[in-house]
Amino acid sequence: MESFLSNNAIYIVMIIVLIVWAGIFLYLLSLDKRIKNVEKELKDGVQNEK
Amino acid sequence: MLWKIALFIILSFVSIAGIAFPIVENPQAWYEFPNIPGLEENAKIIFFHVPTAWLTIIAFLTSMIYSFRYLKRKNLDDDAKAYSSAQIGMIFCILATVTGAVWAKFAWGAFWSWDPRQTSIFALLLIYGALFALRSSIESEEKRATLSAVYSLIAFVTVPFFIFIMPRIMKGLHPGSADDTNAGPVVNFNMNSSMLLIFFLSLIGFTILYFWMWNISYRSIIYRDKLNKHLIRG
Repeated sequence: MESFLSNNAIYIVMIIVLIVWAGIFLYLLSLDKRIKNVEKELKDGVQNEK
Repeated sequence: MLWKIALFIILSFVSIAGIAFPIVENPQAWYEFPNIPGLEENAKIIFFHVPTAWLTIIAFLTSMIYSFRYLKRKNLDDDAKAYSSAQIGMIFCILATVTGAVWAKFAWGAFWSWDPRQTSIFALLLIYGALFALRSSIESEEKRATLSAVYSLIAFVTVPFFIFIMPRIMKGLHPGSADDTNAGPVVNFNMNSSMLLIFFLSLIGFTILYFWMWNISYRSIIYRDKLNKHLIRG
């Protein structure tokens, strides 16, 4: 496995790109969630004041 | 939620296929790409570089549409949508320029050679750069929104010329130029069906990614403004 990967370096690039993409994807997911929470808090806060 | 999973799968597949699928002289298996004369291994950039240029157009178009809606309805939420879309468009415009320059070093021999394609994207960067300079120089919210909406409408008129027309009618190094020997418009240049499929999957994936980024971006701007107003009043 190791010798195959060191002879075909392009697969290592592929694995790295996949890891980077997974990281970006998870970051976007968490951002989305965070904003959803802020939206909810803001809505609840405005209703409580009324 | 389903589209997020689809996005993850599409772009993961595009990364795997775009990077690892081999380029051969006579493709037989479905996972083999044809050798395009003059491009060779460099041809794989099409799966990642072209979508960034594509998103530039989509983002500036969206910005133009919401600028128009702002002028019609005078709702500041539309301004937030137009502004965040222009921001993402600018990011992808820079990415297209930089990835193109890195590729050009190995395909043409120099990072920058004022090819028609490079010149036109440089002009586009300047035009949309001025939009942000304009926005940051105006204090009043309504005035800023109106002026930048008008500017965005006029700026978008130049986009089809700079992206689609000028680089194709002029001779140049970029694939798809008037004297390109690989023939035809950029999209068709000697790709086989599996290469075309992955190319279009990549375009679809990046488009979904754009809408997600845009959605997160304008929601945060809209709620920041709401919160600000709330705090000032409260």
